Amino acid sequence: MPELRLTVNGADHRLDAPIGTSLAHVLREELGLIGTKIACNEGHCGACTVQVDGAPVLSCITLAHAVDGDVTTIEGLRDHPLVEAFVRADAVQCGFCTPGQVVSAAALVAATPEPTTEEIRHAMAGNICRCGTYPKIEEAILHWRD
Amino acid sequence: MELLRPSNLAELDGGLFVHGGTEVVPLLRDGILHAETLVDIRELVPRGIDGGRIGAGTTLAELEASPHIPGALREACRLAASPQLRNMGSLGGNLLQSTRCWYWRLKYPCRLHGGDRCHAAEGEHREHAIFANDFCASAHPSDVAAALLALDARVRTSRRELGLAELYRLPDEADRRTTTLEPGEVILEVEIPPAEASIYLKAMDRKRWSFPQVGVAAARTGGATRIALAGVAPVPWLLAGPEDLDGATPLPRTAWKVEVARALVRRALTEVT
Ligand SMILES: Cc1cc2nc3c(=O)[nH]c(=O)nc-3n(C[C@H](O)[C@H](O)[C@H](O)COP(=O)(O)OP(=O)(O)OC[C@H]3O[C@@H](n4cnc5c(N)ncnc54)[C@H](O)[C@@H]3O)c2cc1C
Ligand code: SF4
Ligand code: FES
Ligand code: FES
Repeated sequence: MPELRLTVNGADHRLDAPIGTSLAHVLREELGLIGTKIACNEGHCGACTVQVDGAPVLSCITLAHAVDGDVTTIEGLRDHPLVEAFVRADAVQCGFCTPGQVVSAAALVAATPEPTTEEIRHAMAGNICRCGTYPKIEEAILHWRD
Repeated sequence: MELLRPSNLAELDGGLFVHGGTEVVPLLRDGILHAETLVDIRELVPRGIDGGRIGAGTTLAELEASPHIPGALREACRLAASPQLRNMGSLGGNLLQSTRCWYWRLKYPCRLHGGDRCHAAEGEHREHAIFANDFCASAHPSDVAAALLALDARVRTSRRELGLAELYRLPDEADRRTTTLEPGEVILEVEIPPAEASIYLKAMDRKRWSFPQVGVAAARTGGATRIALAGVAPVPWLLAGPEDLDGATPLPRTAWKVEVARALVRRALTEVT
């Protein structure tokens, strides 16, 4: 099977996987990083969001063998103040969308430390929350450093 | 499956091209596209903006943030898809995206798949076309293509240069394709002549993160204004003027799109003239 090299949360990995395998599948099934969720598996919901070189992308429709940069998953953001901010704002209901939300939000505040409501809504639009926690997510991001 | 990563055009020899993969990967998984060989073309396709020339490998996120492109194109990119998809998806791939017709995506044996019926015309077609819809009623989903059509963009491929409109064709009995790109042909660049003013307006079923129900681009150059629409025909659709909407041929449940298009065209023309 074709060799696959990935850098995930700072660690280098070398494994074998068939071409066509998604990055989400490799993260969860090969590397045990199950914080990244798969919901729709077709690019619609954002549950599988990870960063590649700091930019949020959808790991469910990313070919693992075509990944060109460093991958950051929710496990790599364990100590990010946003995690605590989500808890403080009670921005979690079932929690299934939350890892993807935090990954997108972390990229936003890295680029724009004090985002406006409009900037938050624009940057977070690709993360669907079926429980409807949007107002709380917005609040968490507005106050992420408090 | 194998994955090739050629570093120059001369190495190309068949296979299915993939750039950001936002279309290719789901369509492969759903069994609508098939390939033994995937060809990652990212090293072949220019990326970046140089005056009026835009590399086809530029992402929609890069375009959305660029002050150097006409307003209509920037806005079309800003309103397209989701932030993650804009980080992944390329300009070239966007122009070549397939229809979102649900029958086609669910593999109904419809005309566009080579069959002899348009399931949408007979069935659910609220999101479908109001022009050129007698053979296939699909509605072209690219915001970006409508903006580029209004801006009178030209496309440079590995083999030729053509106007954006010539990149597309209406499917018919003899040939079901909706683009004129030949097998093995790579889109390299898009060139946009300067426009004095341009705008893109988009009706969506929610405020963000939605395909265009109707997208209207208008661009003024010299005394002339070009108007192009997304979501109204199987290909991006140029209007000679607002009165062209009188010639629309909506399906029973797409007449509402004509009214939305009228309102957006009126507003767009007010803005650019
Ligand atoms: C859920 C979803 C929502 C979306 N919403 C919108 C929207 O609202 N508005 C909108 O305009 N778009 C929308 N899109 C489309 C999105 O912008 C495109 O999928 C993306 O830009 C495609 O780029 P890519 O690089 O990922 O293409 P790929 O998936 O890599 O390729 C797409 C196709 O183009 C071919 N190809 C790619 N690059 C080239 C090239 N340079 N030369 C020749 N062939 C090439 C591939 O072989 C393939 O057939 C949406 C997509 C998804 C999945
Ligand atoms: S609109 Fe086109 S793609 Fe959809 S069912 Fe009809 S023929 Fe098929
Ligand atoms: S699981 Fe990837 S976008 Fe839904
Ligand atoms: S908290 Fe349940 S989907 Fe967002």
